[in-house]
Amino acid sequence: MITIKHDGCILCVGCSSVCPASAIEVVGTRMKHFPEKCIDCGLCVKICPANVICMYKGVKNPKDLPPEARG
Amino acid sequence: MTKNDHDVIVIGGGPAGATFARLAAQGGMDVLVIDKRKEIGVPVRCGEGLGVGELVKQGLDIPKRCYSTQVEGSKVVGPNGREIIWKTDDTKGWILERKIFDKWLCELAVEKGAKVKTYTRAVEVLKDGKGKPTGVKISHGGRESYDVHAPLIVSAEGMESMMARQMGFKTVHSLYDVDTCYEYEMKPYDHENLIELYFGNKIAPRGYVWIFPKADKKANVGIGIGGNVVNGKKLGGVDGAAPKVLLDEFIKNNDQLKDASTLLDFGGVISVGAPINEFVQDNCMVIGTAAKQVDPIHGGGIGLAMECGVMAAAVAIKAHEKKDYSKKMLMEYDKVWRAEPGKVVAERLLLRKVIEKVSDDDFNHIFNTLTDHDLKAIMDGKFAGPVTKVLAGRPQLIGILSALIPGKK
Repeated sequence: MITIKHDGCILCVGCSSVCPASAIEVVGTRMKHFPEKCIDCGLCVKICPANVICMYKGVKNPKDLPPEARG
Repeated sequence: MTKNDHDVIVIGGGPAGATFARLAAQGGMDVLVIDKRKEIGVPVRCGEGLGVGELVKQGLDIPKRCYSTQVEGSKVVGPNGREIIWKTDDTKGWILERKIFDKWLCELAVEKGAKVKTYTRAVEVLKDGKGKPTGVKISHGGRESYDVHAPLIVSAEGMESMMARQMGFKTVHSLYDVDTCYEYEMKPYDHENLIELYFGNKIAPRGYVWIFPKADKKANVGIGIGGNVVNGKKLGGVDGAAPKVLLDEFIKNNDQLKDASTLLDFGGVISVGAPINEFVQDNCMVIGTAAKQVDPIHGGGIGLAMECGVMAAAVAIKAHEKKDYSKKMLMEYDKVWRAEPGKVVAERLLLRKVIEKVSDDDFNHIFNTLTDHDLKAIMDGKFAGPVTKVLAGRPQLIGILSALIPGKK
């Protein structure tokens, strides 16, 4: 799964436009990630112009993220 | 059969959706436009340039408040600093204030009778037993969602195009077919009311740096680079395209900009690939950037979006009159688009794919050889003349440039 630092996100939706799994969408006024759909391809990380996306390969549940990635 | 609430639901209130809505409403259709944003046109994620052509064609008189400044033409700069200035009646345009411009287009649609709803998100496309769209599940302000029905659904969603995906269109982008962009609004910058474009693989690999003049000595200074370019480490140690790093480097080396202030940071990802294979299915159409109708050279999509809105609305009105929203009926829009703007987009895509193979040294040769007339010929898709000139001085480029000569593809 990925994490998004919402503070730095510029809502360009670039990540959802390249996501082959439709695992990132705009909900309300921020990007929302659906870990259950994520296939850990990392395309969103590579493309993000604001560099706010971080990938945690193999993690499916936000509870399993390392402490620094939560919040 | 479910009762229809509207004749057409348009998802997205950008230039494509608003233009479609205005003309469809004018043609007698009951139009609902939904936009997920709280305010139409916000956030801005665009260089904001628009040529005069499309507005003139549609007979629209742009109010002064919708643009920051008028531009006369462009200045294209090669890696060695050589400039080609291209300034004619055809190259006039505006640097828009997108927030105001987009809202104005929506207001025009409202004046013709369309209904626009902001902060309203399409959650899901509703379908009948055969998988044909019958409506959209929508949610206002994050509240409980409800169903709205119409015989025609138009996706004008822009880059995200999630509903278009649900309707079966292949709108997902590959990294190769997008540019990732970063942009600052900066001040002060003394400009000559020209759009400035800087090319070079060092400056902006598979893309360019742009300086778009704005009023009061302001400018949008941005960069777009290929999505498949790797020039930085991303969070988590992933290699990726870092446009901001290159843009900061460019600014550091620019005498005027290095001491200028930034007033706004923004960015985005733009489509620079081919349009999607089909723009219509039974009961649905995809228009504008959602259909990847974007110029692959400069990434501009506003003019194309508005043009496509006109074409799609004309077909939608016919479909409405005949009560026939089948793919066969709607396909006319697909055909009309591909016959005209589609041709230009295809030429530009070919050009983009050639340009990305050219080295900085060859770029310098090209810039030393070409004139503003050649530039115009290239943008008109008449490649033969300029290609011959370039090859005269550097025949070894034939391998790369032959793709531009008809019959040698």
